[in-house]
Amino acid sequence: MAYLRWVLGRLTAAALTMTGVSILIFAAVRAMPGRYSDLVLGPLATSADKAEAARRFGLGGSLPEQYGHWLLNAVQGDFGISMASRSPVSAEFAARLPVTLTLTGLALAFTVLIGIPLGVWTGTRGKGGGRAGRLIGSLGLSVPEFVLGSLVVFLFTRYSLGLTVGEYVPWSEGPLRSALSLLLPACVLSVFCVAAVARTTRDAVLGVLVEPHIAAAVARGESVSFIVRHHVLRNASIPVLTLTATLSAYLLGGAVIVERLFNAPGLGSFLVDGLDRRDYAVVQTGVLLSAAVFITTNLLIDLICGLVDPRISALAGKARS
Amino acid sequence: MRRSTVIACSAVLSAALVSCSSPASQGGQDRAGKQEKPGFLTVADDSLTGRGSLTVQLDYDSVEADGVNPQTASSARSWMLGSLVYEPLVTIGPGFEIKPLLATAWKQPTPTRYVFTLREGATFSNGRAVTADDAVGSLRRLLKSKGPYVGQLGPVESVTASAPGEVTVELSKPYTPFLAALANTPAAVLPMKEIEDGSLDVTKEMLGSGPFTVREHRQDRGWTFAKNAKYRDADRVDIEELKVEIVPQEAARLAAVRNGTSGFAFFNNVDSIDQLSGTRNAKVVNQNNSDFYYLIQNSRNPKSPLADRKIRFALNSALDRQQMADVALGGQARPTGVTPVVLPGACDPADLPGARAADDAKAALKAAGAENLTLRLAVYTSEPALGQIAQVIQQQYAAVGVTVEIEKLDDSTYNERVFAPKADFDMAIGWFAGYVDAAMVSRWWNPVVAGFSAGFIGDDKELDELIDSASAQPAGDARERTLREVCDRVDTNAEMLPLVTRPGAIGLRTDKVSPTLYANEGFGNILRNVTDFTLPAAK
Repeated sequence: MAYLRWVLGRLTAAALTMTGVSILIFAAVRAMPGRYSDLVLGPLATSADKAEAARRFGLGGSLPEQYGHWLLNAVQGDFGISMASRSPVSAEFAARLPVTLTLTGLALAFTVLIGIPLGVWTGTRGKGGGRAGRLIGSLGLSVPEFVLGSLVVFLFTRYSLGLTVGEYVPWSEGPLRSALSLLLPACVLSVFCVAAVARTTRDAVLGVLVEPHIAAAVARGESVSFIVRHHVLRNASIPVLTLTATLSAYLLGGAVIVERLFNAPGLGSFLVDGLDRRDYAVVQTGVLLSAAVFITTNLLIDLICGLVDPRISALAGKARS
Repeated sequence: MRRSTVIACSAVLSAALVSCSSPASQGGQDRAGKQEKPGFLTVADDSLTGRGSLTVQLDYDSVEADGVNPQTASSARSWMLGSLVYEPLVTIGPGFEIKPLLATAWKQPTPTRYVFTLREGATFSNGRAVTADDAVGSLRRLLKSKGPYVGQLGPVESVTASAPGEVTVELSKPYTPFLAALANTPAAVLPMKEIEDGSLDVTKEMLGSGPFTVREHRQDRGWTFAKNAKYRDADRVDIEELKVEIVPQEAARLAAVRNGTSGFAFFNNVDSIDQLSGTRNAKVVNQNNSDFYYLIQNSRNPKSPLADRKIRFALNSALDRQQMADVALGGQARPTGVTPVVLPGACDPADLPGARAADDAKAALKAAGAENLTLRLAVYTSEPALGQIAQVIQQQYAAVGVTVEIEKLDDSTYNERVFAPKADFDMAIGWFAGYVDAAMVSRWWNPVVAGFSAGFIGDDKELDELIDSASAQPAGDARERTLREVCDRVDTNAEMLPLVTRPGAIGLRTDKVSPTLYANEGFGNILRNVTDFTLPAAK
């Protein structure tokens, strides 16, 4: 019952956060200087032309009216019309979302499949592992995506290294080919996350390894791999899971740069163009979607953490009472 | 151990950087601007017999408030894409001369009357013949529209179909750039019958007499054009399908030319010329544009030192345009006055009053009581060259004791700050399309005509008269003298100062396409001669 109350509390907080984000982004994009109608009409247009265009693009009416209208439609799945493409934002997102999902999904898979084993390996290998972990962590965390991405684009277009750049294959032509076409950008996108997860995992493993129950397991003569699987991983998983949730939002943000560099037709370019052009419906939907992904992932991680370590939900329940 | 790791990492990084920079060391500047024959950067190889698809990559898509309506198109990108489908009566040759297109000939019986003979056999892509009524209706529709290009057509009084296949345009007074203005996409001949009967909405669909039809358009992703089977010279056009991909990132377009994904790409960063040099089967050329960058010194803020003409002129004298061209634009640009330097009859930028007073800039500033000035310089980020030019100006002004703080703004913020009725900036850099007649762009120096410049430049009646005279005088020595006076007056006022031309780098794959490209371009149309492009035969 306490767990259920805790879950309901988290769901309510998530819903309130989403509402707050919607108000914030709606106000923020309108507080930015310039409007779409001004930008596309250019400096030669008169103020009457601009006013007429603003009305045509649905930018008339008071801000609360516009917000209410947008929110009401948004909860019904209608996110408005992109002023630049003159097509429904939901259709534009649907066309681009598979690219970004594949890209971030691949990057997240690399993060988990490489970062966690690497962190465990460096955390259980003493001094040598520590040096290797620090080196990998420092390099991965310090090289910006646009630098690494530019280098990869250059090398893979200058020399025949087996993978092509800039040729996205849609899902409809084969999911495997589609994933392969995004392999290079996903690798670039995941480098920072792999390094961060490896480093956090290593620190968590080191923290658990000095616990008395590990010493007891060693005294019982249990093998290192058994100790790692049964005693270390579960206890070290909480900070790693939390970090992975945070990185999911980071991956969405990083995808903007990587998609542009590798010419992948995902949401990144669409959102950047939308922001530059003050295409309000596009930006609002993009931010709302990112917030939803971030909040949902965090919520799921909270729930998983609560299951992995029941003390968390119990402590949260006690703190409220 | 730690030191050896650092050394090993440094060696790997150095090797990577050296491999990245090696092509640049091969230069490419000479090759980039070299003309294959007078007036042409490249000429299509007629011995190639291939037919098929060509992929072109551009940095941004056409975005217009009125959709794909060619008449209200306001950007060079829209003009270029529109030119694949639509045709005006006349076009531009390699030396900026007027050439026939939908009109095979024209006469000018009086200084204010033009009579065009329409091409026989020209049809729209739906198969209907182009008639004089289409040409008359299109021009009348354009004149009635609120399109930004209307003003360039000059004082048109009437447009009539004077005989079958003949169109007469009457001006209220002589206007020399009339034919030049007519040679651009907004003045294209539209299928007026279909527009008037409501079967065609030109804001949503494109239907013209040009070499291509639109098969698909996805905003900001790309266009697919198919060869117009009804085009009069369809047999001569080797490109069956023209894919225009929108790839905003310069590095991605470079990559596409390197690996052959794209056969033809536009670059707005001149560094790309060096970065493509040495790539197998790749060639890069620099097309000179009449477009040019300008610096605004806002004279309309009475509290600003820039309200004082003497200070503005002294600052103008401190500008070294050649250095801007060399440092900021890799030597691929040319200093210019108001009359774009690539156009016939342009004034000599080295002979402008500011250039002649270059040695006195610091003393002139001191004499005007302007010492230890700090000025804000606004640029927008979608055009990388603006930031580079701003840095050179910052250094040049620093040499005369003026501190420049560069503000990098996105396009919307820049527009709101600079083009608002009450402009909020000290200085700003932008660029103008230079068009194909020296008098066309000079209109922007009359704030009453331009409108957008009223917030930062004053109305100089004498200059307005000079601009009007240059528009009305027939080509010749007298007109060139007037244009020189326009240049001098603008330079002395020092409110909106032309700086250097805007280069356009084009990268192409020789194993994918053999294009014809003019050495100089006036409307930013890198696909102007696309019907002449030839393709290698498939292997």
